[in-house]
Amino acid sequence: MSNILDIRNLTIELETSAGVVKVLDKLSLQLAEGEIHTLVGESGSGKSLLAKAIMGFINPRWKITADRLWWRHYDLLALNPVQRRLVTGRDMAMIFQNPGSYLDPNTKVGEQLRETIPQSELKGIYLRRKATRTVRAERLLHRVGIKDTAKVMNSYPQQLSEGIAQKVSIAMAIAHNPKLLIADEPTTAMEPNTRNQIYRLLAKLSASQGMSILMITQDLTAIIPETQRMSLVYCGQLMETGPTEKLMSEPFHPYTDAMLKMSFFNQDVAPKTRLPTLTGAIPTLQHMPIGCRLGPRCPNARRACIHQPRLSKVKQHQFACHFPLIEIVHHD
Amino acid sequence: MTDLLEVRNLSKYYSFKNGWLRPTRVCALEPINFSVKRGETIAIMGETGSGKSTLAKLIAGAEVPTSGEIYLNGELLDPNNYQQRCREIRMIFQDSFGSLNPQLTIGKQLLEPLRFNTAWTPAERQEHVYVTLQKVGLLPDHFDFYPHMLSSGQQQRVCIARAIILEPQIIVADEAFASLDPSIRAQIINLILDLQEDMGISFIFASHSPEIVRHLADKILIMHRGKMIEFDSTQALLTNPKEQLTKILLQSEQLNKALKHTTTQE
Repeated sequence: MSNILDIRNLTIELETSAGVVKVLDKLSLQLAEGEIHTLVGESGSGKSLLAKAIMGFINPRWKITADRLWWRHYDLLALNPVQRRLVTGRDMAMIFQNPGSYLDPNTKVGEQLRETIPQSELKGIYLRRKATRTVRAERLLHRVGIKDTAKVMNSYPQQLSEGIAQKVSIAMAIAHNPKLLIADEPTTAMEPNTRNQIYRLLAKLSASQGMSILMITQDLTAIIPETQRMSLVYCGQLMETGPTEKLMSEPFHPYTDAMLKMSFFNQDVAPKTRLPTLTGAIPTLQHMPIGCRLGPRCPNARRACIHQPRLSKVKQHQFACHFPLIEIVHHD
Repeated sequence: MTDLLEVRNLSKYYSFKNGWLRPTRVCALEPINFSVKRGETIAIMGETGSGKSTLAKLIAGAEVPTSGEIYLNGELLDPNNYQQRCREIRMIFQDSFGSLNPQLTIGKQLLEPLRFNTAWTPAERQEHVYVTLQKVGLLPDHFDFYPHMLSSGQQQRVCIARAIILEPQIIVADEAFASLDPSIRAQIINLILDLQEDMGISFIFASHSPEIVRHLADKILIMHRGKMIEFDSTQALLTNPKEQLTKILLQSEQLNKALKHTTTQE
């Protein structure tokens, strides 16, 4: 399996009043074709920034450096803005949190959908093109599982429920058959039933069209069951990445372990007992600790942790920790 | 043990002006009856628009009910007597930053309920704020901070401090855990468990998460379209739910795994 997205040591620096802050610190991420990859990070971990860096929504004040930021055979950092927009526009799409607020409140949903149908796929004279647009828009809605297309297309975004609005924004995202869909917390604050519907839809789209999905989420309880690989990010540093099953059953990193215990606490903890937690709070941008940024909150932190650990590799499982929970056996 | 809170035939209708004729009435909550014991935790679950928030607001006195009564320790609570209500029943909201006043320091916001509801001297009030801040895991130094200077977890702690500062008997929380990061959420859950143990507070909360409900609640109340369709102990509802909706709401893949795990162990 080849990687279609290859990111090595991506660093994003911001200038703040307290000096230059590394918001993303040497983050690496590989995404294979047709794979669902879940990126888990708490607030302030820079996960949305990563999505923006991939998509090219870049603020000129950010300083982005990377050993590699490759999309298929394009080096995204070497492209000029026009070329980059062409590549991104053709191959990538993104959906957001709070779909209702990302749709235009003044335009009917049908009109917004018709707009997203790519011009290149339309043939014939004006009226023919117009008719094709409507047919294609309806077909898109069918594909995301909306049956009553006429009603949805004829309503304004605020008249739709959250779940339907998110489905509409997925429909708009897949209009030009992208190779990569970035979903930035698409189901936060949705109720579990709607959430599962969206997950099933995304998994189905990925399986049927070979679309890769980079799913960004805050919470380990809210991940697509079909996800093949997961990465955990904390304060802009990659903590651990690996196949989902491995990561869940044998975490190497104390952060992964803590997140698992905090999310699935019903398994070993009796009701009403105290939960295992990480002490303290997530540091703010101005007060990032040096070295491993989990340091001050980590139960295993020792002196060596003031240096940032390198990424160690055990088969497909990678983690950045000086003192992993499982002893690594070296085969030389 | 007598019931701390008793809700009798409580209901809420909203009316809209619709054309020239009679206003249309929309039912948010059909008459509901239940009771809460001292120190008990009740979870309210339901889909969007099922009346969870309405019920929480009615109990906290933020809305006036269309009909029905609420009794606290056998005493009728007057819906218009805010002073009585806010001393005994207090509320925590989902958006902690939005529910704090950005122009006042944390200390001033916490002093306010004391100023209106106690006959203490300023020095006593100040001292009580310091004690309460420490109770929720903050420092007396946070007295002079403004809300935006705190992290989201600390803001939620301030909201909890504001809720417990008058030593209420009941705390009502509407989705108080939904917008918190996992590591902070676990800390807040622990904090609420600690406070409940220390102060014997009853806790009524609305939540989507089956994991949190299973961990915290003694009893679960399931709502559907403004009606209470089930009300029973957590264990009973988990082992044999009567309604299909209960099953769906309490279902989660991780939870199912966990249940299987425990049954095979036994």
